[in-house]
Amino acid sequence: MDQIAPAPSQSRKRDDPAKIRLVGAGKTFQVRGTELEALKPVDLGVGGEEFVALVGPSGCGKSTILNLVAGLLAPSAGQVLYDGEPVTGPNRRVGYLTQKDTLLPWRSTADNIRISLELKCRATPRAEATDRVAQMMELVGLRGFEHHYPAELSGGMRKRAALARTLIYEPETLLMDEPFGALDAQLKLLMLDQLQRLTRHRRMTVLFVTHDLGEAITLADRIVVVSARPGRIRAVHEVRLPRPRDVFTIRFSEDFARQHERLWDELKDDIIKGTDV
Amino acid sequence: MAEQAGSVASLAFPGSRSGETPLARALTTPQGRIGARILLVAILLLAWEFAPVGKGTGFWLSKPSLVAGTIWQWILDGTLRVHLQATLAVMAEGYVTGCLAGIGIGIVLGLVPRLHRVVSPFLAGFYAMPKIALAPLFIILLGVGDLSKVALVAITVFFLVVTNTIEGVRDVDRDLVRSLTLMGATRVEVIRKVVVRSALPWIFTGMRIAVRYAFTNTLLAELIAANRGLGFLIEFNSGNFNITGAYAGIAVLVLCSVLLTELLSRLEARVSRWRG
Repeated sequence: MDQIAPAPSQSRKRDDPAKIRLVGAGKTFQVRGTELEALKPVDLGVGGEEFVALVGPSGCGKSTILNLVAGLLAPSAGQVLYDGEPVTGPNRRVGYLTQKDTLLPWRSTADNIRISLELKCRATPRAEATDRVAQMMELVGLRGFEHHYPAELSGGMRKRAALARTLIYEPETLLMDEPFGALDAQLKLLMLDQLQRLTRHRRMTVLFVTHDLGEAITLADRIVVVSARPGRIRAVHEVRLPRPRDVFTIRFSEDFARQHERLWDELKDDIIKGTDV
Repeated sequence: MAEQAGSVASLAFPGSRSGETPLARALTTPQGRIGARILLVAILLLAWEFAPVGKGTGFWLSKPSLVAGTIWQWILDGTLRVHLQATLAVMAEGYVTGCLAGIGIGIVLGLVPRLHRVVSPFLAGFYAMPKIALAPLFIILLGVGDLSKVALVAITVFFLVVTNTIEGVRDVDRDLVRSLTLMGATRVEVIRKVVVRSALPWIFTGMRIAVRYAFTNTLLAELIAANRGLGFLIEFNSGNFNITGAYAGIAVLVLCSVLLTELLSRLEARVSRWRG
């Protein structure tokens, strides 16, 4: 990974230090004539190069927040700002890893990972693209599956392919919606380690949705606890663990345990309520 | 496949597995099946050849040897080449024109639902109509030459391909489009890399069905009015009570259909490998 040069810091001509800012942003859906409030108006700022995890029960509007930032949904109330500018359409500055892997079924794994490098906006010479694809496939442990089609991969492998496809073009901001849910425990740790290394090295801003509190504590600078529907922000926890973190052993530290306990206290009522429904 | 065939047979005839005759076993192999097919055709042809018929019926029935002789004659004197070429040229010109127009207009209509909603009743109406009914009209408007037949084939192919293309474009997974847009793809890139590519199986299905219709309608149009082509050859020979000639024309036609079908299924198999 060392041969990848750090990203040049962008000149920022604005006062707000936040990369992403939700200002009273809420979302209401029309479902068969009735209104469904998915997200109560929330305020949230994510600083440049910050790693923020969103945790909360299923269906609490975490994914809605990501969709708003990606510009795939327009807020029904308030505003979503990116670099101080309102997001009005698909936000091309973010890499979005959705829950559903959106691999193109007719492209082999390698060709899927390559696709962003074929686009005019970041046209890459073929040889270089091939090198980077090989590097990425190695990174996510998919070597030997270059010529497999997505339908021939397992769910976890597809997730990793989708991750590689997003990481390869090094977007300045990563939005991730439970990217490691389908992975087994060991592989998940390896991926967390790689993700931490890459995002720190490339100075990416990350907004990360997860169910897994341990995952959130391991990776995040701040953890935003979202409550059950209609979603609203219940608490924000700072994770005061030094970086770089050793994802393999940090789970056994006392600080980690304390964080975990505090988060769990915050979440358990909602989660218990959520599972009842 | 051979395995399956065997198990189905043993289900249908319990206990037959152990007592299978060598002949029955031979049918489970590809070579055996092909051999059996050749045998079947040979028996039919022999029965036809040596059918006990009187003088009168013999004229209407002809004989495979005579039919083969006629085809051989046509090959030698160039008749076959001329007529086959005429048919294939009409069919190909009509087919390609119809496909290009169908795919192009289909993509536009698929991408612009507002436009599609306006024209969809017309598309549906024309789609359902047997296009061969237009043949007499086209002959009046465009003459007995190739042009009227090419137009007929093109129209037939167009409606089949355009309908499938529209469906294919509309069926594209929005999430794939979104993910590529977020990556920074331009509209044209999204259309090329996702929309058209994802519609391809639909378009190919339309094109595959259209080949048969193109072939059929070329033949029908030639039967109605033409001065060359396979359809003309059959019509002309029947019209002159040359039964052997008519059979020979039909035999060539069957051969063409088989080759066409075989070619198409091979192409199809190659294109859709990713559907795991």
